[in-house]
Parts: sequence; C-alpha cells; structure tokens
Amino acid sequence: MRFIRLSPMLGSVALGALALGCAGAATEVPDYGNVPKWTTRAIPEARGEFRVGPDGKRAAIRYRGWTTRDFGAFRTYAYDDTRPEPPVQKAAPPPGVTGDPKKGRALFMNRAKGPCTGCHLIPGDDVWPAGSVGPDQSTIGDRKLPDAYLYQLVYDPRLVFPNTSMPPWGTVGGLKPEEIVHLVAYLQTLKGPVPPEKDPHRNPFTRAKPVGFGDNLDPTNNPAVLRAEGAEALWAAKGPAGKACADCHQGGAVKAMRGVATRYPKFVKAYGRVMAIEDFLTVHGPETTGRPFPAQSADNLNMTMHVKMASNGMPVAVETTSPEARAALARGKASFYRRVGERNHACADCHTPEKGADKFLGGRLLGDASEGFTKHFPLWRTSQSDVWDMRKRFQWCMTPLGMNMLPADSIEYAELEMYLTTFDKGKPLSVPGIRH
Amino acid sequence: MERTPSASHITRRTLLRALAVVGLAGVSGPLLGPDAVPAQGNLGALQPEEKVEATMKRLFGSRPLKDGSSAIKLDMPLIAENGAVVPVTVEVQSPMTPADYVKHIYIISDKNRRPMNAKFTLTAAMGTALVGANLRLGETTDVRAVAELSDGTLLMAKREVKVTVGGCGG
Amino acid sequence: MAEIGKVRIRVPSSIKQGDVVRVRALVIHPMEIVQRRDGKPVDKNYHFIHKVVVTYNGREILAAETTQSVSENPFFAFTFRATEPGTLKIAFLDTHGGKYEGTVDIKFS
Repeated sequence: MRFIRLSPMLGSVALGALALGCAGAATEVPDYGNVPKWTTRAIPEARGEFRVGPDGKRAAIRYRGWTTRDFGAFRTYAYDDTRPEPPVQKAAPPPGVTGDPKKGRALFMNRAKGPCTGCHLIPGDDVWPAGSVGPDQSTIGDRKLPDAYLYQLVYDPRLVFPNTSMPPWGTVGGLKPEEIVHLVAYLQTLKGPVPPEKDPHRNPFTRAKPVGFGDNLDPTNNPAVLRAEGAEALWAAKGPAGKACADCHQGGAVKAMRGVATRYPKFVKAYGRVMAIEDFLTVHGPETTGRPFPAQSADNLNMTMHVKMASNGMPVAVETTSPEARAALARGKASFYRRVGERNHACADCHTPEKGADKFLGGRLLGDASEGFTKHFPLWRTSQSDVWDMRKRFQWCMTPLGMNMLPADSIEYAELEMYLTTFDKGKPLSVPGIRH
Repeated sequence: MERTPSASHITRRTLLRALAVVGLAGVSGPLLGPDAVPAQGNLGALQPEEKVEATMKRLFGSRPLKDGSSAIKLDMPLIAENGAVVPVTVEVQSPMTPADYVKHIYIISDKNRRPMNAKFTLTAAMGTALVGANLRLGETTDVRAVAELSDGTLLMAKREVKVTVGGCGG
Repeated sequence: MAEIGKVRIRVPSSIKQGDVVRVRALVIHPMEIVQRRDGKPVDKNYHFIHKVVVTYNGREILAAETTQSVSENPFFAFTFRATEPGTLKIAFLDTHGGKYEGTVDIKFS
C-alpha cells in the first residue's frame, strides 16, 4: 500500500473564469501564475490523498464514514487542474426501450441517484422531503413536451439552458440512457389538477423554514463552547520548544487576540499565501512552540475557536484592497462560480439568490453566500456532534457532488473562504456557531 | 448550507454579563454504585422496543387520558432540521402547591422504536411545571406529553414534528 | 470523548427571593444508542444517562428517568422557586456508573 498525492490531470482547454459562462462571474480575470505550491499540514484524512491497493485501485483517504470513491475523472478546485467541464452532449433516446412510468417514479425518488426530489416536487404523500431548487414538476405532463426534448433535458440540460444548475446526468454517467427513458415516461404522466395539499410542509414552496438551534454562545446550548475552553490550557502550556502561546502573546488570549480574527483570512507575506486562522496555526504553532497544530486536528480547531472568540462581537474587517488580496479574491470568486465534480455544480448554483439560495435542497434550506457564511465558523454541527471549520464544510459539500477534496489547508480553499468572508465584512463575529 | 436566525449578535462578554454560567463542581468517573449495571449487557433494562400503544398501556393501563391541549403547552419546532437534536419544552398549567401540583411529565415519541423519551418527577418547589430536554426522533412523528397531576388525573397533548433527513450532502 | 461529564448550568445573573427561576443544564455525554446486527438489537452495556436528580439545598426538587431517546450531549430545562440562598445541584447518572455533577450558588440581589 502506498500513498500518493492528488495529481492534477492536464486538459487541453485553458482555465479562466470567463470560460465558466456564469452570470456574475469574476470581473477580474484570475491569475494563477503566482500561486505558490503548498505542502499540506493537515491530519491524514483531510489531505485529499489516496491509497492504492494491490489491484491498482485508488481509494480516497477521507474522514471516517465518508465515501472512499475516487472522483478523479472529474475536475476539482485545484488551480493546476486545467481540465474543462464535461463537454455538452446532444442525446437521443436509445431505440428499443419502452419507458415504464413506475420505474421512472422509483428512479425519481431514489436517494442513491439524484435524488430528483432533492430539487423537484412531484405529487405523492411519500415525497418527503422534496426540494424547490428546480421547478415543481407536478404537472409537467400537461405541457405536452416531446419525449426527445425531455430526454435531452435530463441527459444534458446545458444544450438548452447553458446556465442551468441541473447536472448533465447522462453525460457524466449518473443516469443510464434507459433510466432516463423511464424518467421521461413518468414525467409525461404528471397531469393536473394537483389535488389539494394535505400537508403544507410536504410542498417546499409552502414549507415552514427551519428555526435553527438557539443561542450559539450559550455554553448550555452549544457544546463547541466547552471544546473551545479546552484551548485555554493549551494556550498556556509550553510546547516541545519550551514556549507557550502565552509567552509571546501576553495578557491571555482574550486580550492578546482581541480583533485579530476579524482580519482573517488574509495574505500572510511570510508564507506568500492567504491564510485563515486554521492555516496560520498549522505553521505558526509548530514554529514557535514546537507543538504541531495540523489542520482539522482537535488542537487546531479548539485553538482557532479560542482565538476567534476573542473577537466576538467585533466587525469582520477582512482586507480586500492590496494587490495580493485582490488577486486572491479574483481566484476565490472564480472558484465560487467554477463548475466541478461529477455533478458539474458550482457553489453559486446553490448559494446565490439568482439560483438556489433560500430554497430547499431536499429538507435543507440553502444558505445565501451574499448574506455571509463565515462569521460563525468553526461551529458545532448538531448532526455530526462535532466542531467543524469552514474547510471541512467545503470538503463535506463537495464530496457528494462528486469531486475529490483538496487538502483542508489548501490555498484554493483559503482563497474561496476569503471571498466568502468579504460578504461578512462589517458584521460581528460570533464563534462558535451552531447549525444542523 | 443551512441558516439559522442571526440572533447571535451578542458578544460572549455580553452573555457572560447577563448570565451566570457555572462549571462543574465535581466529577466522579465510573464508580460502581447501586445504579451501575452488569458489564455484560443492559438490553433487558432498557425501555422496551414496542408500539406506542403498548407503551401507553404499560405506563397508564386503562386510566382515562383527558385532553390536555389547553392545559399543556408543548413547545417544539414544526420542522426539525435534525432528528438527533429536537428541543422540546413542556409546560403544564398548575398552581404547583403541595396540595395541587404536577407529579409527573412523560415525553413519548410515537414512531421511535422505544417510544418513551423521558419521565420527569416534579415537586411543588419548582414553582412552575416546566421541563425541557432535547429529543432524538427517528423520523417524522407525533410527540406526546402526558401530565400526571397530584390527584391522579392524566392529561395528554400531542404535536407532530417533521423530521427532514439529509438533502444531498447536508 | 475527553469532555465526557462536563456540566454547564445557566441561571439568570440576578435572582430575587421568591422568583421562579429558569435553569438550563448541559452535560457532555454520548448517550449511546442501541446497535443492531442482522436487524436484532445487540445486548451490550449501553452507555447513557438514565437518571437526572436536581437538589436545592439538599432537597430533591426534580428527578428524571431518561432513555436513549434523549440526544447526545443532553440539555435539560426546568424551573425552581428561589426561596432561600444556597446551592442548586444537578447530578447526572449513567449506566456505566458515572456520576457527573454541576452546582450553582443561588444568591439574591
């Protein structure tokens, strides 16, 4: 068994934000020329590495319980991954297959596939929780659209709608041609009038919005606060180099670190890259105290929370005007609009008001990046019973979309986080947050 | 990514000023007292896996359950983003005097394999008959609160909670 | 879980004699759920809090029997009438014999 580093595959088409074709994409053309190479200092499961078995098969090394599938065929956020998105395909239904609406409905609901219901509503009390990112398909059969047209829309909708958020299911192999025939047969059966809704929550367009998990700074409500307290001892404890954080940063973290976190992520000259607190700790911690602070380790996350909490209530003041910051933000923004992975999604597909923001993806209400995602990270995830930082959230978001994750402390993620942080500018930090 | 209300604009300092947050005074690790159970297994000692009707029968026999919908305030989210953590507060109208108080509050989730979540034993010293906890709910379910008053009267209220399971990736 | 048994209790910072005071308490605990093998529950010594006892100056004012249908890191909310200064104590007992306590001083302002 051996370990290999995620190796970019070079494609023939040059990468550029303008090639993305997304409305609202970066206005400044991102320059990838000056980005340094970075050796990850993350825990093993957060490095985006692979294990190669005796049979030559690559299995991803990821967090416990996450898929080990290798999505190497699909492009990522790596700046040196210059492959284009999968080319648009024109498709026609395969001859000799008769669509079965029953099979089509089962496919529409199948959680191992889309599920289509993650974005589209269809009739039926068993449809829960349907999403509202895509159009309600409850009466699509009434529109008398030709089968071949619907087939193309499922196979690769980009031929008709270049800016669609819908994955090109046939082109990327997510659905087989005969499966799409069944789906089309099912969609053609969906005719009005729709019976009155027995339960308003079934319908994502009328469903109540989730209320959240209460006061995130209340230690009897948010276990992450207790985790962060664990870093108080770490702050004062001397590392192998004989020094503690407290030796240089005097007066306690709350005083010494006041305001510091409001300026991160930022370009750190000494390392020639953009860093969030987490990234900075991976290098600064060992250099000064001799103690490792690998990205995604408990020490790193707890110390990050401890440092950020010293700025709670203070407005985010991320620097956006220096040439380095502008270059980083152009790249971060391009990543936000870049379609990646098997599903060929961009962050923007789910998290901008023009697209999926404030709509339901299945049972989840999608957040709006322009309202700010970053000021409460790291946070407690009630569904995971653990503290997560922004990077693990990125990795988690991207894995089911079918792309190989980058190292948690990668420059690509740092600049994407910096771009997201610009939307929080002026808003008070409130760490740790608490989310589902 | 999901959202919660941005009610978090208070700083930690404000919070600490407003509240006395108190740490633990003492922890004793595992000590084998009367509450300890044999090491080999405690499945038999758990709440039984049963239908909610069986739970109700086991707990209350054939005693009448009165409609408690006006006397019991059952506060829960309509939609739980995460079935593993569903906050619930039950408040029963009661003078809470030694002569007239709420003796027990049961919280029961119909669709859970083991429906009983918790049984509270209250006293008049509480001032109000209010208890809260966070529940694990396996799926969309009715949650019942049953109040047993000091005179033996049983009141019941219930509410449905919709549990959403993961979208894609969550 | 390193923090197991950490307890936090929250009461209002200002309490007057006779107030009915709202209390929140959190304990860090896995509240282990029943595992199943081939659809059958596995008989093992499941680790969860099964009892919570609240005392006020030594008198028991609230007790709870809890099950695995209570969340990991459980919190409990309740009220008590602050009749005298003293100590409110919350004890969490688990099925492995663990006992985790938190206390808060009740003073009048």
